[in-house]
This record gives sequence, structure tokens and C-alpha cells, in this order.
Amino acid sequence: MANNEFDVIIIGGGITGAGTQRDCAMRGLKTLLIERSDIATGATGRNHGLLHSGARYAVNDPESAEECIRENMILRRIASHCIDETDGLFISLPEDDLSYQQTFVEACRKAGISAEIIDPQLAKRLEPMVNPDLTGAVKVPDGSVDPFRLCAANMLDARLHGGQVRLHTTVTGFIREGDTITGVHTRNLNTGQEQDFFAPVTVNACGIWGHDIAALAGVNVGMFPAKGALLVFAHRVNNMVINRCRKPSNADILVPGDTVCIIGTTSTRIPFEECDGVSVTPDEVTLLITEGAKMAPSLSSTRILRAYAGVRPLVSADDDPSGRNISRGIVCLDHEERDGLKGFITITGGKLMTYRLMAEIATDTVCRKLNIDKVCSTAVTPLPGSGEPSYEEVARKIWEKPSTAQKAAAARLGNNAARLRTRNRLDEALVCECEEVSVGEVNDAIDHLEATTLTDLRRRTRIGMGTCQGEFCACRAAGLLAKAHGCIERERDDLKAFLQERWKGNFPIGWGDTLREAEYTQWVYKHVLGI
Amino acid sequence: MKLQEYTQSSHNFEECMKCTVCTAYCPVLQVNPLYPGPKQAGPDGERLRLKDPFFFNYALKYCLNCKRCEVACPSGVKVADLIQAARIKYDTSPVKWRDRMLASTDFMGHLARPFAPVVNGVTGLGITKTMMDAMFKIDRRRTFPKYSAYSFESWMGRHEKEQAAFAEQVAYFHGCYVNYNYPRLGRHLVKVLNALGVGVQLLEKEKCCGIAMITNGMKAEATLHANHNIVALSKAVDKGLMVLTTSSTCTLTLRDEYPSLLGVDNSGVRDFIMMASRYICERIEKGAELHFKPGFHKNVAYHTPCHMEKLGWGVFSERLLKMIPGVEFTMLDDACCGIAGTYGFKRENYEASQAIGEPLFNQIKAVNPDVVACDCETCKWQIEMSTGYQVMNPISILAEAII
Amino acid sequence: MKFNTVIIGGGLAGLVAGISLQKAGRGTAIISEGQNALHFFSGTFESIEDAPGRITDLFAEAGIGLHYSPGVRLMPMGTFKKAALSLEDISLFPGPKIGSRALIVSFAGYHDFFCQFLAEGLEKQGMQCRIKMLNLPELEHLEKSPSEMRSVQIARTMDRIWESVVREVRILLRDEDTVILPQVFGLQDTSVPSRIRGGIPAQVVFVGTLPPSVPGIRTQMLLKRRYQLLGGTYLMGDEATGAHVHERVVHSIVTHNLGNHFLEADNFILATGTFFSKGLRSNPFEISEPVFGVDVEQASDRTDWYNPEFMREQPYMKYGVICDDNLRPLKDGEPLRNLFAIGSILGQTRPGLGSGGELAIRSALAVADQILKSDE
Repeated sequence: MANNEFDVIIIGGGITGAGTQRDCAMRGLKTLLIERSDIATGATGRNHGLLHSGARYAVNDPESAEECIRENMILRRIASHCIDETDGLFISLPEDDLSYQQTFVEACRKAGISAEIIDPQLAKRLEPMVNPDLTGAVKVPDGSVDPFRLCAANMLDARLHGGQVRLHTTVTGFIREGDTITGVHTRNLNTGQEQDFFAPVTVNACGIWGHDIAALAGVNVGMFPAKGALLVFAHRVNNMVINRCRKPSNADILVPGDTVCIIGTTSTRIPFEECDGVSVTPDEVTLLITEGAKMAPSLSSTRILRAYAGVRPLVSADDDPSGRNISRGIVCLDHEERDGLKGFITITGGKLMTYRLMAEIATDTVCRKLNIDKVCSTAVTPLPGSGEPSYEEVARKIWEKPSTAQKAAAARLGNNAARLRTRNRLDEALVCECEEVSVGEVNDAIDHLEATTLTDLRRRTRIGMGTCQGEFCACRAAGLLAKAHGCIERERDDLKAFLQERWKGNFPIGWGDTLREAEYTQWVYKHVLGI
Repeated sequence: MKLQEYTQSSHNFEECMKCTVCTAYCPVLQVNPLYPGPKQAGPDGERLRLKDPFFFNYALKYCLNCKRCEVACPSGVKVADLIQAARIKYDTSPVKWRDRMLASTDFMGHLARPFAPVVNGVTGLGITKTMMDAMFKIDRRRTFPKYSAYSFESWMGRHEKEQAAFAEQVAYFHGCYVNYNYPRLGRHLVKVLNALGVGVQLLEKEKCCGIAMITNGMKAEATLHANHNIVALSKAVDKGLMVLTTSSTCTLTLRDEYPSLLGVDNSGVRDFIMMASRYICERIEKGAELHFKPGFHKNVAYHTPCHMEKLGWGVFSERLLKMIPGVEFTMLDDACCGIAGTYGFKRENYEASQAIGEPLFNQIKAVNPDVVACDCETCKWQIEMSTGYQVMNPISILAEAII
Repeated sequence: MKFNTVIIGGGLAGLVAGISLQKAGRGTAIISEGQNALHFFSGTFESIEDAPGRITDLFAEAGIGLHYSPGVRLMPMGTFKKAALSLEDISLFPGPKIGSRALIVSFAGYHDFFCQFLAEGLEKQGMQCRIKMLNLPELEHLEKSPSEMRSVQIARTMDRIWESVVREVRILLRDEDTVILPQVFGLQDTSVPSRIRGGIPAQVVFVGTLPPSVPGIRTQMLLKRRYQLLGGTYLMGDEATGAHVHERVVHSIVTHNLGNHFLEADNFILATGTFFSKGLRSNPFEISEPVFGVDVEQASDRTDWYNPEFMREQPYMKYGVICDDNLRPLKDGEPLRNLFAIGSILGQTRPGLGSGGELAIRSALAVADQILKSDE
């Protein structure tokens, strides 16, 4: 097979694409993943990071609930370093109908989710930050998952199985032979280089942008973009996921994730043109704060770090072009069967949680098309970095007396943090002081995790995700990136883009300490450094 | 529901702007690379500790609790409180015997005082110092404070009647140092206050303020002391008395550390606890008069102790000294002397302690005053030992200057 | 305590006002909630462009050398920026061509100084650049700390060992006409920058680092020392929490540390800076001034406070307290009689006074003059 020929090309570097590449690669296929930006830039990185137990769907969508709990248990095994086993509470407040609790618990049991009604007093002991006025509580096996780590680990494993990745590369067109897609035209957005790649099957795993990719291939996938806004709070207020025990609604999930916690989400249908660059409105901010404070009152007096929004790819059932009958379930379209277009499939819908199952379904379809008979093993094979029960143990296994940054690295990289052991003392210096990211870890992300921009680095290491939102670490990391790729001009633009990206999440909540911080960042970059 | 109420952070550490100003003023950072620094140990670390106590760093023990980071912080972050609170909450290592001994200042004073000449002689001996160094890791180069042959409390007992004769009264929280080591300072205060027409009485029974216990990880013991003292202070306050102090550290502990580090409510007494220098200044501003000895002359260099800096009351000592005819006043630069209570006594801290104090010692030598004025007893030991200059509490200088 | 003037805010504006008043024999107090924006001072007073004799004298008396030469200065990211009146450390050039060959020197393990960006910026101007990292044994103790290889800690060491830097640079120097060093010299010992210049046989250009700013801290320290030598009372680490105002006259202010011991004065100066310094406070609905509650210029709708483009001018940064022609802040549209506002809390409400350091100095001098005149 020539260098630019593959068994399968996957378009989209979100969790679905990364998972599909891993599955395909593990089944022995020669794979290429193409992503126009970086890993996890779409909906993958723009949600709560909730490891659903499935309880949220138990009443209304039992099928999704069953998928969730199954995948939940699988991810705990295969991706332990991406997962925080926090457990979750579904709380009833005085304004909620407590009788819903019974319906809810029964539905959970039916779906195989262990849901235990606990005394509100016990709930307060388990999660001291929960609204003390709660009238009821149910404990479920919710957790939190870091989508960036999960995506990176899948991609890394795909690479270990021979997979290739082209980030910052856009698909400009499809190569066809008659009614068959045989490859893609691409352009690298960093270098401008154009290149063609060939494969008998191409997988469209682009989330909401899959609509455009399908159109580029000449087929129509009926999608409906739904914007969901979220707020990140500056520290980890709660240690358990908190949900409202009622019909799913706006802003009723509060998830602790690493050093922060996240409240969301809203749900608004938006036009396709607005999918790139969605921003959060003042009304959404108000709604999120107000509803969030009902679940954990101390949120009201906690600093807000940023506001962001993602776009869910809702897919209308094929027999319902109006889009009224929307599914959040997994949709895998074989366009040969559906549209008569060979060599092209679309995998969409689903959730971050169920990415592995989506990947399995997509890979089954790919294998069927390639007449390959291999079973999926992604459910039983741990991802690279996974394995130890806790990052405490990872850190202690690698370092005798781990420093704070080494502990943090172990939490981020799992067993792969061992790569940092060989680095020298100067590598211990901190780039990001809020999230404890060392020079060594930044260089590791550049060397091993395909980070080429500051935003890439953020997704892999959490630089710039802390309280100061990149005040100091952005230019330190820019210095390291500049050294690595040797193009200062590009790095200067990258730094500006990074600051812009941070500001975009700051100004919707730009008051109080956030505004103070923003003013300081302006001084540092404009007046002190003179960018 | 009003959004206004829902938007300002009540978490003090979140007000940190990561501006790094505190790191420029931390005396420990300048000499000890093992200390993570106030920013990392304080607000940055707090966020990680809230995520998981695993992120607690034992190197926080190198913090002096001098609070210069807090004084310097433009955002009002209680950096040192965050660090001390984290130590109290997360440091599970048992308290060493040496630390327990150093921290129990009133217990030790109680034991040692009756044998003061012997104890003073013995602690001054090379052999004792070597033994203390070997057994307890108390640095042999350290000069030990001397114990007094009589306690201040016993002296006050003998003068109770004459003090009660004054129409106006204040209470005095003398602290361990005045009671066991240097009763003369207490007598100086009595002299000055009497000259202002004010009589002095003791609290019903005071205990050590407990600061050394707090910084040595003995929270339970410190809390016992705090609760006891709050009762004693309340009784005085209920009688309508102000409670005066002559030690800046005791004052800060009673006023600020009790609620912030021990969670002991002092709201009923806090505003009635005051450094004597502030009280005297205010009396004089309101028209009270002192009569000074003619021909008094002293070249005084004033060192603001770290905790006085934190209280923000150095200005009163400064004004007091400046109003004494014949005092030539020099304000020394803001700097820590390095002793920080029991910190400098520990062998592992000796070098750091002396290095921290060096700029201050050098400045004192350059100014070459007749006496260094300072409101803190441990600064006094450190500066006297390290420079050879005599150190006096401003109250003592005032007492010497009045008729 | 009673003073002629109480100044709230101990940054550049507050200190310049305090020094001017103390020099004229007025008893003043400065209350400062922690350290201030001088710690991020770039070393240049933006755009002061007329004869600054009064200003240079004031600084010279504090031991701070200023020089004046309209032109440009080299910024840490390799760009050039207009500058005129600056600290002596800062090299001013007529234009962005500052030499033909540059040796850029930094320290191994120091990430707050951006050699590559500097080199690229200079190469754009046709210079040839060489980057060298010094490995000084005296800095090893800082390398042990992951977070404290900062400008100010390096500077503390450099006060002692600057001569080894001179020696090392002399060894490295080939045919370069320019040596570029980070601004980590002369924290306590103010003579160090000029002694380094004297010791290296090339033009030495000190370029800024990430905060804290070493020349800024030095400036703050020297101005404060000068103020205290003149008899001023500097209350560090205290916060004004409220004021007693009767019939539009401020009688005293209340502070956190002094509690019921109020600070009384004939005049009060508000020099508390902008948002960062808490001179202005914001919530989702409004921007306010916390001590006196005076009027603040602002857009009524929060969404108008910002420009979504980070690099563009931000409207919120222009907001400030609204004053009459004598820089007396208005409250409910009417001025308070003995309160003045100086420095960045004015925002851009007085474009004639400039911005940044220029605004601080000009407004401080103007208000000091007014107070002295009204006393007469």
C-alpha cells in the first residue's frame, strides 16, 4: 500500500473519530484521521464532561440509559486515568414533585442502573455543598470524564496500532470513481500544503459539521444544531455530580471536573451558519447562575472562570424531514444503502459517554464493507495511561516523593506520566502555575501528543485553564512552542489567538474578579510585553 | 432572586489575580528554595487541595507566618492564613517533642522561672546548648531568652491595691514573655499608664495566646488556650475595660488568628484588645499629657515587627516615639528579622533565619542607633543576638523618658 | 489622627501627590491596600512629551534617574513602542534600528524572558542576533524551585553577583554592537544597571520580563522611602472601608486596620486605581467606586463594556470617576468639596492628562498644586 493509501479515512478528531480510529486500528486496518483543527474542539470538549450513569435518560429514553450504564462501566475499566469516580446525586428540591423520585428510581433499576434513595441528611454529609433544603436524594454511579484526555488517549492508542493523524488539516473535496468515494483532497491549515489520500471507506465523524461534510460528498444528513451553554466555576465546589430529580431541563447538572466544576446546560436551536463561534448570551449566564445556585447555593458566591457553549449534533429520523422527531441516540448511516454512495458512512448523534459504542458500530460497518471479520476489543483493552486505580498511586510509583506538578501530571497523564521521569531538573520549572504544568509536561505534549498550538497544549495539559486563564503561562508556553517548531511569526499569531480564545469565554461573565483579571492580562500583554 | 447577590466571590483565595507581588515580599523565598512561595502555597495550592488533599505539600511548614505576603497583596488575599489553615487541616505528621516544648511557652516558663538563675546559667552553657542541639535540634548558636527571678503576675499581686486606686482602669494581657522573662516591660507600662492617670489590672487568669502552638501544629491545645482567654477577656470587657497588650504577636493572635485559624469566635472582645502604644497615642491626642525628663536624648531606630505591620499599627509606635523630646527617630525598612517566634530556634531553620534577617541587621549597623525600638519580644532576641544592639519596646523607652 | 491631606492609594499617583505635599510642609498620610501597579511598571511614562523638569527633579530627589528622549523602546515580545520619558534603565532609540548585531543573553531555566521573540523582532529590522543562555552556579538555588525563577528573585541574586554576568557576557561577546539583557538588575543596589553598562564594551539594552517588574519595584521602594523621609505616614496593607461626609465635605475616612480610629484631614485624594487595584468595582449591572460612592462613567448595558476582540481597545478600561474641572469627583452630579481624584481611577475621562504613568503624574501634580493654593 502506498504512503497515501489507507484502509479507512476518518474525518473528525472529536471523540467519535478518535474512538473509531482506535477501533479500526486495533482490528488491523491502516487508518488515517483528518481533523481541521485540533482534537476535541467541537462538542467533545464543549460539554459537562459528565460520565453519565444513564439515570438522566432512564425515564424518557431507556435505550440511551442502558447504553450509558454499560459504557460507564466499560470506561471505568479502560480509561481510569480520564475518569473521576465521584458518584452522583439526583436531588429533589421543595419546588420539585417528590413523587417523581419513585418513577425515576424504578426506571433506573429497569435500565440496570443502581439507584439508591438516601436520606437527605446523608446526602448533605456525602456532598456538603448540596442545597440544604433538599427534600429527597438518589445516589447513582455518575462520574466525571475528561474529554480531552480521553480523546488524546484514543488517538495515542490508534497511533500505537499504526494509525496516522493529520491535525489542522481540512478536507477540501472528495475523490470519486463513479458512485464511490475513493479518497479526499486535503489542505494543511498551518502550512498550506495540499495532499490527497485514498481509502476504500471514509467515515464522516464530524459531529454537527458532518452535515457539511456529507453535503460535500453530495448526500444530505438531516441535522439540527442545538447550542448548549455552560459555565465553569473557578474551583471544585462539589465533589459529587449533582442533578435535579425531575424531567430533564435547563441547567440542572453540576459536574466536578479536575480543579473546577461546571454547570449546564441550556438548549437552543441555532442556524448552521452560527455553529462556528457560538458565544454565550447574558440571559444564558443569568439562567445558569440562578439554576446552579439552586443545586449548590455556594455557587452564587464562587468566582466564575468562563462561559462557553457547544453545539450538539441532533439528527432527525430519516422518515421525518421536519426534524420534530429528534433523537439523541446513535445514528450510523451507510450511504451506500441510504443514498447509493459507496465507500462513505456517517456516524453521529450519541454522546461523549457512548463514543466507544459509536466507534464499535462504525467500525463494524467499515469492516463489513471491507469484508474483514475481526471482533471489537476496545471494551476490554485499557487505553494507554490507564491502569492504576488512582493517580496517587501512579505518582508514587513513578516518583519517590512527587512534587505538586508531578502529582498533577500523574492525574492528567496516568501511567504515561512515566515519560516525564527522564526529564532533567530544569524541566521541573512551571509553565502554568494555576494548574501545575511543568516545562517537561509541555514539551512532552509537543513531542508525544501532537500539540502544535497553544490551544492544543491547553487541551492536553490544562495550561491556561486555571484561575488566571493564561496570564503568565501563555507566553511561557509560546516560548517553548517557538523553540520546538522554529517559527516565531506563527507563534506570535498563535499567542494572540490563544488570548482571544480565552477572552471569548471571559467577557460574557466580565465583572468582579474576572474583570480585574482581564484588565491585568491586558496590561501584561499590551503594555508590559508589547505583543 | 437578585443576580447582584449571586456574583461576587466569597472565597478569599479566588480574589488572587496571580500578579506575583507576594513572591517579591516573602522573606523565606529569598533564602529557601524548598519553600513553594506564598502564591503557590497559598491561593494556587488551595485550589488544588480543594480538588484533592493529596496535593498538600509538606514544604508549607517553611512558612514563617510573618504575613508580609498579606500586607503586600493588592487583592486582599489572606495568603498566610490560607497556608496556616492548610497546615492545620492537612498536616498529619505528629508534633515533635522539640516543637511541643518550644510552643509551650507558659508551661516552660512556669517550670523554669523559680529556678531562673540556675536555668539561665545552664541554658547559657556550651554543653547545654550542644545537648539541646543534639537532643531537640534546637540550634546551639541561638542565645536563649533569660528567665526572670520573679513573675510579672506576682509583682502585680503586690501592687494590686495601689493600682485599684486609680479612677480609670485598663486590663493588661501581658503575655508569657513579660510574665516569665521580662517583667520590667510590664512595670514600664504600669508607670506610663499611671502617669496618664490610669490604673492597671490583670485579667482574671490569662494563658499563653497560643501562637506558637498554632504554628507548630498543635491546634487542639491552641484552641483550649483560646477558649480560656476569650472567657478571661470577656470578663474584663464586661467590666468596661480596654485590654492592652505590649506584644504585637499576642495582639494579632487574639484579634485575628483566633477566628481565622482556630474558628474561635472573638467578636465580643476583638475591638477592645489594643496595643498599649495605640491606646496611649489616642489618650495624648485627646489631650492627656506626659511630663518628660529634661535632657533626655536617644537615637532610636524603629523596626516594625511583621505582625505589627499586619495589624497596621506601627504608626502608633512611630508617633509615640516621635513625640518624646530628645528622640532622634529613624524608620527602618520593612523587613523581617527572621526569627518568627519559634521558627528560628529550630536547627533546620537557623541558617535561613539569619539570612532573612541580614538586610535588617546591616541597616541597623549602618544607622548605628543608641537603641532599636520594636514591639515584639522574639524580634528583640533575634536582633540583640545578631547585631549586639540593645532592643527596647517603645513603651519602655517612653517609660524611661518620663518623669 | 489628623492630617492636612489623606491619600487613598499608594501607587505612583498617590506617592507623587504625597511627596509634593510633604515637600511643601503639609502633613499627609497614604493608605495603601497592598502593593500597586508600579510592580508591573514598564519603565516608561507613556507619552509625556513636554519639558519634564519638575518631574525629573521630583524623581531625582528620590534617587530615581529619568531621561527624556522621544523615540521608541524595545519591548519584550520583540516589538517597538513609542516612548519618551523613561527610567534610566530603559534604552530609548530614535527608531527601530538599534544596531547591526545583537547578543541576547538570558539564564538557563528562566522562562519569563522571550529571547526568540526578541531575536525575530530585531531580525525584522535587519539585525543579526545570537541567543546565549548563562549557566550561573549562583542561580542554582533558584532552579531548585519550580515556580520561583522569577525576575525579582534573580534580581536579588544579581545585586550580589552582577559582576559575573559582566564577565560571562564579555567572554561570549564577539563582534556584536548590542547586548540585550533581561531587566533583572538593580533591585536594591540602584547602581547595578549603570555599572553593567560600564563593564560591557557594547551598547547594553535592558528589556522587560514577565512581572514583577524589577525597575518598577525599585521605583516604588525609592518613592516610598522619599515620602517617609519627608515625614509622610505610609499605612501599608490597610484598606479604606468608608468615609464620613457631611454637606459635601469629607471629614474622615474609616480603615480596616484602624477601626474606630478615623483618619481626619482637610483634603482627601482618591488614588485607588482601576479594577485591578479595586479603585473601581463591578457587578453584572454596574461599575461603582467603593469608598465614597462617587459617580463613575460607564455604559449602562454590560455588553457594551467589552470589545469581543481581545487586542482591541476595551471600553471598560476607559471608564473612571467623573470629576469637575478641578478633578473633584462628582457624587449624584455635584462635586465633593475637598475630595480629589488622581491617577488611573480617572480612566480616560480626561484625555488631556494622558494615560498610565503620565496620567498618574500629571493629575497628582495638578491636585497637589490646587491643595497648596487653596491652603494659602
